[in-house]
Amino acid sequence: MKKWILVLVFLSFGITALSAQERVELFGYFESQIMGTEIKSDFYQLYTNKLRVDLKSSISENITFAANFDYSTYYGKTKWNILDFLTLSITSTVPQGKESFYIFPFSNRSFLDNAYIKRAFKNFDLTVGKQQISLGTGYVWNPMDVFNIKDPVDPTYEQPGHNAVRFDVLLQSKYTLTALYSPEDTWRNSAKLIQFKGRISHFDYSLIAIEKLWRFHDYAQFDTTNMSFLEMPEQRQLLGASTAGELLGLGAWAEYGYNKMEYSKDFYELVVGTDYTFDFQTYIMVEYYRNTLGRTDYEQYNLNDWMRLFANEQKAISRDQIYGFIQHPVTDFLNLGISSIHSISDNSLALVPTLNYSLSENMDVMAYLNFNFGKEGTAYSKLSGNGGLLRARVYF
Amino acid sequence: MKNIMISGLMVLLLAPALFSQELTGEDIILKVNELFNPQTSYSKSEMTIVTTSGSKRTFLSESWSKNEGEKNLVRYLEPRRVKGQAILMLNNADDIWSYFPRTQRVRKLATHAKNQKMQGSDFSYEDMGSGDAFITDFSPKRLKDEKMEGHDCYKLELTRKQDSDLSYSRLILWVVKESYVPVVIDYYDEDDPTLWLKRLVQSDIRLIDNIPTAMRVVMYNKNDNTQTEIELLEVKYNVPLNDDMFTERSLKK
Repeated sequence: MKKWILVLVFLSFGITALSAQERVELFGYFESQIMGTEIKSDFYQLYTNKLRVDLKSSISENITFAANFDYSTYYGKTKWNILDFLTLSITSTVPQGKESFYIFPFSNRSFLDNAYIKRAFKNFDLTVGKQQISLGTGYVWNPMDVFNIKDPVDPTYEQPGHNAVRFDVLLQSKYTLTALYSPEDTWRNSAKLIQFKGRISHFDYSLIAIEKLWRFHDYAQFDTTNMSFLEMPEQRQLLGASTAGELLGLGAWAEYGYNKMEYSKDFYELVVGTDYTFDFQTYIMVEYYRNTLGRTDYEQYNLNDWMRLFANEQKAISRDQIYGFIQHPVTDFLNLGISSIHSISDNSLALVPTLNYSLSENMDVMAYLNFNFGKEGTAYSKLSGNGGLLRARVYF
Repeated sequence: MKNIMISGLMVLLLAPALFSQELTGEDIILKVNELFNPQTSYSKSEMTIVTTSGSKRTFLSESWSKNEGEKNLVRYLEPRRVKGQAILMLNNADDIWSYFPRTQRVRKLATHAKNQKMQGSDFSYEDMGSGDAFITDFSPKRLKDEKMEGHDCYKLELTRKQDSDLSYSRLILWVVKESYVPVVIDYYDEDDPTLWLKRLVQSDIRLIDNIPTAMRVVMYNKNDNTQTEIELLEVKYNVPLNDDMFTERSLKK
């Protein structure tokens, strides 16, 4: 019921705004996808339909309102037991009688993903509301981004919005200062960010400082009041830097974040990447990622490590990883590629062949397969399930 | 290669009367370069890609250019799939940034990205935004005059300079004698100067703001047997453009 009220409110607002404003745009996409995965010699499928409706209105020359509403439905295998993907040595540590807590459901959902007002002043922009926050230069991993975690198999998928007040101050044409406040229940628990961006020669760079509450969970303990895993929040202070430019004709980027933790051990993340396009249009990219929160030996992985990875609380389970990607435009409308993710720390590997086809001007088809080649218990073990995804998207 | 193509502009000024016999290749290419690069420009254009199978894709975009093509901004309006995507090129396309509105990310591209096709078209980033590359990256040589596309033309060979990193080893231009519009340009492979890659043909030349402008530009890809046509829907020259227009802030608008 609640979702339909939301839909009606959103549509009512959209239609009202449409009639009231000349410069209102209504657009978005519909996406249908099927994902399949092999688990313990059975093959399971999850179907997803997603409708995204975007609204953008230029209220005046300097004021913009933008919002988008997402509605997703799931069917097929909508309940996934995380324990199915883990080894016996890990599942045996699950407290007796609590196995049902480790089932992740995919429930139909509708929500306002973004809704913000942007006011452009002469030398700065003010953005207020739920908005995307994109930080860092890394393609797959972003050590500076404490707000989002990308899926290494699908790193360019859009990220959700976050409530925030944001100032982007243009210091000169080459320099920008960003200050952002993302409110929570108290000032202390709210995220604060300040970032300086500039350019030296052909290199962009940025320096950043962030304070944010990290809502970790202990996935072996339970909060019986809320019937959930025990939350163990702690303050995280990040100091980071990033750069992107060109070295010896190759694209080059690097990103670093040092995380000072309130209770647990400090850690850092580092990304170094390079890319190149050959004259014959083939594109290659390599990105190295280190996260000292990750383990160096897969035998050290525990239930919390795995659950925090699956719950998108941390970006990696193993310390060192390398991502490779090669893509070639076979025709003007068809790109074939393959990406590989190698966990150096536990010597496991995932290979992901990809296909992107522009079926018509406003319709894309994307497909990938996912093959894992690691030993049991490693980051990309065969137990993680080989599978694939087929996605068709129509823009309107 | 020519920022003007971004705005799809083929430009010409009335040149001082000179006898063709007196002109060197350098004289001619300086004149062409001057005409290609007005101080500022704005255009709205429609780009149509035609594949070997006859399939078509059409893109509508707006573009702005400043400092004689040194700064360029392109923003896509249609189709919906790419709406809002934008490309900023500074320093004659030595610095390129692309913006993706769905992820709200700005990505800095290295110069090798100039080799990439723009939206799968037969134009590369380099073709679209290299400002005065005709004179900075190539050495001109005048060849025997020829008739081309119905015009009496100067024929020029431009050979890439040793320190240039452009993707073409040489270009052949047919420049209309009375207007200095290069009606045809042939592009040759980076490593093999005998390998003909692409041909650009400009037509439907009209006087816009007193500047003769080719309203239709077609790039034929000889290797892939495909073609891309750019049709100018609107053109303005010497429009007031602030430097703020060519920043990351503007890219995200």
